[in-house]
Amino acid sequence: MMRLGRWFPRGYAFTVLGIAVGVAGLVTLGAMAERISRFIEGGDRFVRGQISVAGEGMGMGAGFTAGGLLRAAKIAELARVPGVAGVQPQVMLPLRTSTSQFLTLTQELVLGLDLSVPMPNRNYQVLPVRAGRFLAPGDRGVVVLGADFAASRGLHVGSTLALDRGTFRAVGLLDKTLTAPDRFAFVAIEDARDLWLRRDPLLVQVFGAGGLARADLNSGAAVGWLPGEDPDALARRIQRDVSGVNVTIPGELSRLLRESTAFFGALLFGIGALGLVIGGLSLSNTVAAAVFERIRDFGVKRALGATDLQLLREVLGEALTVSLGGGAAGVGLALAIGFAVDARVIRQGQQLFLFSPRLLLFAFAFTAILGAMAAGYATLRIARLSPAEAIRRGS
Amino acid sequence: MLVRAVGLAKSYRGAGGEPIPVLTGVDLEAKAGELLAVVGASGSGKSTFLNLLGLLEPADAGEIWFDQARVSHLSRRAQAGVRGSRIGYVFQSFLLISRLTALDNVLLAARYVGRDRRAAHAEALALMERLGVAHRRGHYPAQLSGGEQQRVAYCRAVLNRPPLVLADEPTGSVDEGHARVILSELHELARGQGTAVILVTHRTEAAAEADRLLRLHDGRLLPA
Repeated sequence: MMRLGRWFPRGYAFTVLGIAVGVAGLVTLGAMAERISRFIEGGDRFVRGQISVAGEGMGMGAGFTAGGLLRAAKIAELARVPGVAGVQPQVMLPLRTSTSQFLTLTQELVLGLDLSVPMPNRNYQVLPVRAGRFLAPGDRGVVVLGADFAASRGLHVGSTLALDRGTFRAVGLLDKTLTAPDRFAFVAIEDARDLWLRRDPLLVQVFGAGGLARADLNSGAAVGWLPGEDPDALARRIQRDVSGVNVTIPGELSRLLRESTAFFGALLFGIGALGLVIGGLSLSNTVAAAVFERIRDFGVKRALGATDLQLLREVLGEALTVSLGGGAAGVGLALAIGFAVDARVIRQGQQLFLFSPRLLLFAFAFTAILGAMAAGYATLRIARLSPAEAIRRGS
Repeated sequence: MLVRAVGLAKSYRGAGGEPIPVLTGVDLEAKAGELLAVVGASGSGKSTFLNLLGLLEPADAGEIWFDQARVSHLSRRAQAGVRGSRIGYVFQSFLLISRLTALDNVLLAARYVGRDRRAAHAEALALMERLGVAHRRGHYPAQLSGGEQQRVAYCRAVLNRPPLVLADEPTGSVDEGHARVILSELHELARGQGTAVILVTHRTEAAAEADRLLRLHDGRLLPA
């Protein structure tokens, strides 16, 4: 069996521990930043993938379809606009009507889809299914659950979900997307219409008086475009040609989303900078201190004939081994903290950390480069001393 | 090898920045196979003199010659080569590296001069055997007694068979018995192997056995 002690420089336990703490701080803060960043990116991809249209005014629809009813006649009008490839009627409802509409970014939603129309969103034409299957045309009484929605309730394929007075059988679970659909329950649009009618007595009265047909019960629609079509130009054409609808312009919505999440952007930058400063200072200070601590040994080695280059090579080799060892321990510590915290908050349908490969690679590269730089700096400082002076200072 | 020091001078800065002269013009010649003992009062500059002679720190003035080579004015890299292959040091406080085993401490001398590792390993073990510390080769310095540490340090100093060995109070931190072992080895080096040995000591018996006895006084080296 290979002995770790043969490979790892002796007497560096506290140095490795110091580096590990710094790297763990860097990686956990970075993982939080990655998580927020992925959420914002996901939302941006979504709004750039479709033109969302709702009826004029205010209704009880939620999320990106918030607005008045979008009646069947308007959907037909939308489909006739030149450049439109498809229109998918949707009903989007808050899971709990008591939930404030303020936190729409993390709200749990029921999304009813008309599956006779292919998903028009160019960036989410197929949602990744982890288990079971996605909805199919003709489905009734079944639900496909977003990852966090299912995890927070301990649901799996075959579980039953009670929504208002109806029950739904879960036929599929989605993979984590780290954005809004993780907190969605997808149902057939007819089921969503039933839910809506049960929830809104006023709607029942209007519906009962004969003013509306079931096909008119849409909180919005997703509009897709033909290849080569400019989505913003198409959205403006819809605004011009179809009266009585609220149309989102993908480019503008994306800009608005980015503006409204500018705070998160600044927060991400702050978290990243803080992580780099804390992790970087801790790491470079620990490595440099470990090298300075050995000043006497360097004096002895130079007395024995070591050249500056030989010493530098030796120190860099050790510093890299120790830094990467500390880096690996730090990454392990950060993963342990992250998974432990996430295991707790998943009960609320949340995930706080995203340990992406690019983050872990960055952590290792950062550790190696900074460790080598700190060791190099300390060695060059020591190399300026005569061997006798180094021995005196270190004794 | 003939070792010559000519007009070596060195001063240090005092607390107020004023120069404190330690050596003011030291001349010395040591021939191969000669054992020189240098004595002097505490603070007279004995260790500084050995440091200059061993190229462990630069002199303010003066020259050091090994045979026909003026080694005091070589580049840093070249001086490192001279230190590794031509000078062996035995320090009073042993100066073993705490993270290395006794054997690895001895082998350190071979590492920087590019010696064949296998040959150096065999020679190091033979040396340690002769000095009675081979059985402690896998131990770290903190696990060795003072006498054992000094014998390990001695093995490291002579592993490369340097023509000059500088010993700074080599018996200062060990008991009588171990001191006798080290002194006898230094004698053997000079007599048997033709090594020039310069010994700084306060032990009268060590000084008495030297070929020449010199005294450092007022920054100068004088016959005792």
